[in-house]
Amino acid sequence: MVLLLQYMLLFASVLALVALGGCFSEHSGVINLGLEGVMVIGALGGALVLKYMPAGSPAALIVILTVIGAVICGALYSSLLGIAAIKFNADQTLVGTAMNMLATAVASVLVKAINLSEDSSNTSSVVTYIENKPALTLRIGDFEFNWFMLLALLAVIGAYILLYKTKFGLRLMACGENPQAADSVGINVYKMRWAGVLLSGVLGGLGGIAYITAGSSWTFETGVAGYGFLALAVMIFGQWKPQRIILAALLFGFFRALGSVYSGIDWLAAMNIPSTIYNLMPYIISLVVLMFSSRNSAAPKSEGIPYDKGSR
Amino acid sequence: MEMECPYAVEMLGITKRFPGIVANDNITLQLKKGEIHALLGENGAGKSTLMSVLFGLYQAEEGTIKKDGKEVQINDPNDANALGIGMVHQHFKLVQCFTVLDNIILGVEETKHGMLKKDDARKKVLALSEKYGLKVDPDALIQDITVGMQQRTEILKMLYRDNDILIFDEPTAVLTPQEIEELMQIMKNLAKEGKSILFISHKLNEIMEVADRVTVLRRGKCIGTVNVCDTNENELSRMMVGRDVKLVADKTPAQPKDVVLDVENLTVASKNHNNNAVKHVSFNVRQGEIVCIAGIDGNGQTELVYGITGLEPAKEGKITICGKDVTNASIRERSAEMSHIPEDRHKHGLILEYPLDYNMVLQRYWQPEFTTKGGFLKKDAIRKYSDELIEKFDVRSSQGSDTMTRSMSGGNQQKAIVARELSKEHKLLVAVQPTRGLDVGAIEFIHRQIIDSRDAGDAVLLVSLELEEVMNLSDRILVMYEGEIVGELDPKKITTEELGLYMAGAKRDTQKGAE
Amino acid sequence: MKNKKSFMENPAVQGILSALICIVIGVLIGYIVLLVINPAEAGTGIMAIMKNFFNYPIGKIGMKYFGSTLVKTAPLIMCALSICFCYKVGLFNIGAAGQYVVGAGVSLYTALAWGLPWYLCIILAGLGGALSGLLIGVLKAFLNVNEVISGIMLNWISLYCVNMLLTGVKEPSSPYTLPLTGHGNAGLIPSLGLSTLFNNDKVTIAIPLSILFAILVWVILDKTKFGYELKATGYNKNAAKYAGMKEKKNIIIALAIGGALAAIGASFLYLSGIENWEVGRSSVPGMGFNGIAATFLGALNPIGSIFSSFFIQHITDGAVFLDKTAFPSQIPDLITAIIIYLCGFMGFIKMLLAGKKKNKAAPSAETKQEGGKQ
Repeated sequence: MVLLLQYMLLFASVLALVALGGCFSEHSGVINLGLEGVMVIGALGGALVLKYMPAGSPAALIVILTVIGAVICGALYSSLLGIAAIKFNADQTLVGTAMNMLATAVASVLVKAINLSEDSSNTSSVVTYIENKPALTLRIGDFEFNWFMLLALLAVIGAYILLYKTKFGLRLMACGENPQAADSVGINVYKMRWAGVLLSGVLGGLGGIAYITAGSSWTFETGVAGYGFLALAVMIFGQWKPQRIILAALLFGFFRALGSVYSGIDWLAAMNIPSTIYNLMPYIISLVVLMFSSRNSAAPKSEGIPYDKGSR
Repeated sequence: MEMECPYAVEMLGITKRFPGIVANDNITLQLKKGEIHALLGENGAGKSTLMSVLFGLYQAEEGTIKKDGKEVQINDPNDANALGIGMVHQHFKLVQCFTVLDNIILGVEETKHGMLKKDDARKKVLALSEKYGLKVDPDALIQDITVGMQQRTEILKMLYRDNDILIFDEPTAVLTPQEIEELMQIMKNLAKEGKSILFISHKLNEIMEVADRVTVLRRGKCIGTVNVCDTNENELSRMMVGRDVKLVADKTPAQPKDVVLDVENLTVASKNHNNNAVKHVSFNVRQGEIVCIAGIDGNGQTELVYGITGLEPAKEGKITICGKDVTNASIRERSAEMSHIPEDRHKHGLILEYPLDYNMVLQRYWQPEFTTKGGFLKKDAIRKYSDELIEKFDVRSSQGSDTMTRSMSGGNQQKAIVARELSKEHKLLVAVQPTRGLDVGAIEFIHRQIIDSRDAGDAVLLVSLELEEVMNLSDRILVMYEGEIVGELDPKKITTEELGLYMAGAKRDTQKGAE
Repeated sequence: MKNKKSFMENPAVQGILSALICIVIGVLIGYIVLLVINPAEAGTGIMAIMKNFFNYPIGKIGMKYFGSTLVKTAPLIMCALSICFCYKVGLFNIGAAGQYVVGAGVSLYTALAWGLPWYLCIILAGLGGALSGLLIGVLKAFLNVNEVISGIMLNWISLYCVNMLLTGVKEPSSPYTLPLTGHGNAGLIPSLGLSTLFNNDKVTIAIPLSILFAILVWVILDKTKFGYELKATGYNKNAAKYAGMKEKKNIIIALAIGGALAAIGASFLYLSGIENWEVGRSSVPGMGFNGIAATFLGALNPIGSIFSSFFIQHITDGAVFLDKTAFPSQIPDLITAIIIYLCGFMGFIKMLLAGKKKNKAAPSAETKQEGGKQ
């Protein structure tokens, strides 16, 4: 049971972080389908920090630097979307897809090159950080608390306050709903959209590093198993509102966790459900959830439409 | 000995270019302090562009702007705002899902440590609302309130920012005659308080009533500035279009025959709120007559047309065209006897990325004349048909039938739609705002086409927001207010004022609609 | 001079030129990456990728590897067609990758477990893909579910289901499915002499078939009433509705067709015998995603997709010739991904090209004037 809770909270944190990232981007008017790729690159940044930090460094330092690494890489990578969509009015769906494919390729190439230079017989794309990983967690009895769970919670609260209670949030949402109106009162729509995209990079990167540090090493060739898209489903199910996103994330997290721990729960194991069904569940649940929540969606009205100052 | 500059703001020698067009060509406009100055011109004359330059939305390529005699740079609305210049746009720039208050404070929010503080703002808005008689509900969502209140929100936006120079861009397009009078009074009050007002319009009577001076633009150039007391409507009209305009179209009396369109108890839901947009409407249109649905935009006319043409489903009621019940019929089935010139030519009327000939057959491409039995398009037949229509209706474009429709001018795009709809088989013509955004020449042409169509035996259902068009073209006027037909009027016997009363819901017939 | 002007304005020319520009920049960036990793061997590396089978001497061996590339180009063309077709209706069929998986599953299972002949396997695979596309279409048309997200979900669902399905026909001691020769001979696509031409027994009529499909798609889009409706819906669904077109029906049919195309593509690959399916695979094959690159590189034109697909497969196969001790094998994936990213800028590139034309026209007018003055 404890294990179930642990995994559920961990996966929910990942999904919540990335969904919030998508939320900020879309509230500003830019659809970020490249979150999958942002997660990978953010994960890479954090993983490399974890790998290279000298063993025995203080835990707090490890956590902070890992987060910074992931966040910076995620933000930098999301600028690819920013440049294409905001400066050049490119098709946001296409750019997002390209970013997903690019990220896995870039990460694999980079990691393999690093591995090769360290050990010319190592042609894998695996990054191990087994020595420093424990810094990210805290054992409370049987429960392994992961700092990213806290970060996710803080992110949800922070996002709520930022969006609904601050000047920045009001202006950001205006840019996604009616950029012409925002422009006419002197708001720089381009700058706001950059803020939205970079925020999605920050949160996506965080989500990425949270995801891969469930284990002690990661094979970068494999990407993030569609989690970037699961997070988008969470965002839609949560109707672009942080307070609902966290609930949706917990729901998905629960089902995903079930797949990892069912063998330890006697009555479930006795049902002899093949593991494939458990693997399938998050994706099927997303589909079902989307079927019900896409109809009357509260999507930001101008999302996906490149902002052209000249059009009236 | 320095004389205080009499001008609040001056625009000197402004030239603004867009790809392929000179929107403003060396225009000079000087606004005196405390005056109401009108900017007159047809659609496309360059009025909105000029004001956008003043407001910082565009930057002029040449020319200077002076405030109180000193040259200034206005690079964005923030600069304009800092100089005290504010603008109420023709298409309101409001965020639908925000409240009235949020829309007013957007861009000039008060904050404490980055968090919004709305209490003082709320007090100020209510005080301004009281002072100038602008009734609003600060916590209502824009998507839930009336157009009139939305416009008052826009005005409050300016007053909240202590703007002295107020620009109104075609403010009366969406108001009833009564609301227009109120607005005129509001403007006069504002001028008395020392505000300087620039007021864009193409409506001569409003300018004559409220403005002190008027500057006339035509095709991007400034024709001249005159005092309103020294001129009259005919002279202004001449300056505006460059020739004498026939204010009344030639029309023989109608001779209506059988009923073509019969609408019984029609109810259509609204997309914006829970009430119905069209409530139990009944009327009919006969062969050989033009029936016009008059009313202020937003009273259900759009939804009425959508219900009749099939773009929206009918919640209740019955629609009959040529004796056939089409209440649940598909759009294509209705099109057999009906032609529809839609309200929004870009949204519904045309596929801009298609060449002109593909658009000309938009309503007929599936017929045997244009498609083989195997499903292949007969491109030669399509081309030929398109060429014929272009010739007959004088549709101008850069490459004829090959032109990509997006590159055509608004007027010619509309002509293409009119050509297409009038040339296909139909007994009923539904024309919604058929001359919106067009210049005088195109308007005359299309009015002629509609009248000829009526004389040939069509039943015409016209929906228009332009009072002149309503009075000139229709044989019968049905006024719509808040989703109901409140009056049936004879254009020969009614005055504009009385029509306005019906449109404002201040007067209604005891029985409605059908003959 | 007038000829030059209309040459550059021709959208086909602009399309080809901008595609070429994307390719050149993509390859250049790939080369720079190689330089960073291993300067000494970078030149050889990039050439190895670009040359692919030309690394072999022309003749029997060269032809054999040319043939292999062609075998894999056929499914890529089909995936590209799938995405191109759906894009014209305004839909982004990322689910093509999952439909590809379904196609692989159905064609291999029917061939190995039921022993059906190749043409039946292909047809059934197409039906399977069409069902998947149909589901996405129905969800989109009636419930407004974004087809990108539902497509991705179905990609993963299809993967796990097909893995389960093909476990029934796999080799006892390895995670791969049984080879068709010996276990499902009827399922092998015939080659009708092509295999002798290319000295490669995996070359089949799938290759010319894929080109035929490309032509078919082009004909449908450009010359039929159905294509007229599809494109209209993609450009402006409001006007399409006004004109009486049935939007929901068209979306569903388009996605079903797209699904069938991608699935048939998979059957083209797996029924040639060149590869077997690994039932433990943890991710969908990249063919569906490379199809996106091929479509956009081909300027969203079915015929263009033939050439762009060949190019992408060419460099993907070229990875084999990279010295793995010097470079990671994902370099071609990197180049392909960069090319797709750049394709997003195609509108901008085309604008630049059109701008260049304007500047060229001006000087000639001036010189004419000067000549006149004298």
